[in-house]
Amino acid sequence: MLRAYLGVLRKEFLQVRRDPIMLRLIFIMPILQLVLLGYAVNLDVKRIAVDVYDYDQTEQSRRFVQAMQPNDYFIPTAMTGSEDVRPTWHVPERFRTGDADMALILPENFSEELALGGNVTIGLVADASDANQASIGTGYAGQIVRQFNERELGIVPPLDISVKALYNPEGESVYYMVPGIVATLLTMITVMLTAMAIVRERETGTLEQVLVTPINATVLLLGKITTFAILGFIEIVIALTVGVLWFGVPFVGSPVLLFALAALYLFTTLGIGMLFSTMTSTQQQAMFLAWFFTVFAILTSGFFTPIDNMPEWLQAITVVNPMRWFMEIVRAIMMKGAGISDVLHAVYPLVIIGISVFSLALARFSKRVA
Amino acid sequence: MAFLEIDNLHYRYDETTALDNLSLSVDRGSICALVGPDGAGKTTLIRLLCRLIAPQTGTVSIDGEDLFDVATPLTDRLGYMPQSFSLYTDLSVEENLRFYAGVFGLTGSAYIEKRDYLYTFSRLGPFAKRRAGALSGGMKQKLALSCALLHDPELLILDEPTTGVDPVSRRQFWAILDDLRRAGVTIFVSTPYMDEASRADRITCLFSGQRLATGTADEVAATFIGSILRIDGVADADRLARLDALAGVTAQRFGAGVHLYLPSDMSADEVMPRVVELGIPRSAITERTPSVEDRFIQLMSGAGESEADNV
Repeated sequence: MLRAYLGVLRKEFLQVRRDPIMLRLIFIMPILQLVLLGYAVNLDVKRIAVDVYDYDQTEQSRRFVQAMQPNDYFIPTAMTGSEDVRPTWHVPERFRTGDADMALILPENFSEELALGGNVTIGLVADASDANQASIGTGYAGQIVRQFNERELGIVPPLDISVKALYNPEGESVYYMVPGIVATLLTMITVMLTAMAIVRERETGTLEQVLVTPINATVLLLGKITTFAILGFIEIVIALTVGVLWFGVPFVGSPVLLFALAALYLFTTLGIGMLFSTMTSTQQQAMFLAWFFTVFAILTSGFFTPIDNMPEWLQAITVVNPMRWFMEIVRAIMMKGAGISDVLHAVYPLVIIGISVFSLALARFSKRVA
Repeated sequence: MAFLEIDNLHYRYDETTALDNLSLSVDRGSICALVGPDGAGKTTLIRLLCRLIAPQTGTVSIDGEDLFDVATPLTDRLGYMPQSFSLYTDLSVEENLRFYAGVFGLTGSAYIEKRDYLYTFSRLGPFAKRRAGALSGGMKQKLALSCALLHDPELLILDEPTTGVDPVSRRQFWAILDDLRRAGVTIFVSTPYMDEASRADRITCLFSGQRLATGTADEVAATFIGSILRIDGVADADRLARLDALAGVTAQRFGAGVHLYLPSDMSADEVMPRVVELGIPRSAITERTPSVEDRFIQLMSGAGESEADNV
């Protein structure tokens, strides 16, 4: 049996090597995707274009505007007309054309009132069609006002908050994205390739030929699964190397632990791929099913949006999504240096999902070929 | 007891009956050819014999062992070649052989020896590095046969191995089968070609899942009822229809001509003038000894009628 198994393994690798498109799909696509996604999926908000309607036009009001400029968060544009400052009805127009993302309005009594020790309210209008940018931008503005209060007016509010962001102090979204992309790529490749490779054997009739030999379907299946598990590992290594070397993503935790848990995750995705192969009869069908699953898995994995933000019923669904748990594990190990005891709560669901999916797939597979 | 015993085998797909209580036996070291039109149940029977599907009722025994008892280690005694080419087209000739050898536990020098032996009869040696998908039809079949022979099976089951293969390759292929028979291999082969079937020790004709006849080519041909007139020349639909319209006879297109089947109580001399009346020259008409094919056509048209009666 071992001989037969090794024979299957050898054959699978030969076939993978024989297929140049497949090879490219497996090894070049992940790098490309990682680089592209690493840059494109950037949730950092910087260089917000702010129109400044400064009706005060004093030394102090200009200092306030300047206070917004360090850090690159805001790019203020003075909205002065030919004679005076433009009226604020320009704001919606500027938003519509996309020339401005925010408008800052300083009233004409700005410095006068401050000098008298009175209360001044400045206006901040945000284009919230980009909700993320609007909320982050207004947050930045709040901080700037607080700093200005302290520095210019010597006002220290009695209650203050000291914020310290751990694990990713600069809030680099690429740090957060790369582990997510690793999980996504691994899912895509293993589910899709496994499902397609098994269906191909059925589609081309080779499965029938193999079934009339002493090796049973299980050995053939195991050989295939091992092949794609190995490819999956190569995939992880490539993705992590690019992430760490190119994007400088910190890898705080134990690589050994990550690989061990990746093996557990592969167990579930290979099982899913196998299950899909029993539900389809052509490679196209298998690919569509795998694709549909991957999209669903990504959306409910917490890759882009936190699971806590989802409605309760959707949160309940995410529990059966293995990618959700692996996403959590990868991020915890890579960024926070989590140990096995820290991620156990995510390991148990993976074990349960893996065993259920795998046994279901095996049962369906042997039934279909019988 | 025969080497292969098929007893009352019944197989039904949802609506249609593919095999209808079929019984058949094949002697060790003989070639049994399975003929019959498309949909007769040939492939179903073959897949049953390979244990790829299980029958609703009936038994099959190979060398006295129950085929459908899963405990029977059948696969190392059986070589199977499916109808469509089902080796790995993206692997080379050698890689395919090697994979199947590994599957049968054949490695090292034993494999090399076997491979070289198979190369000598298949003449695939020079193409060892070529991808299976790039082989010609005849070479593909020889490769598939080689893979099925790697483990020296006692029973070789071939499903239309020569369909779509050129005549020269077909003859070569059958020469190989003859050699194998001499070596003691029992061969069960389905074929749409009657000339090939005639080379087998026994022919079985399958129609609508039933066995119509079994025997040597001569035995089967001898059961033909009546006599035959062959009319050479164009066998267009019009001529066929006019001949068929002659009272008491049946006209069948046969190669590049027509065979006129006469019932036993009708003599050739009786029919001849009526054929000549249709404007066919006397010289184009000859009496013909019935062949296996004639008998099968007769059987099948008979079976067809009785089936129509039942409706």
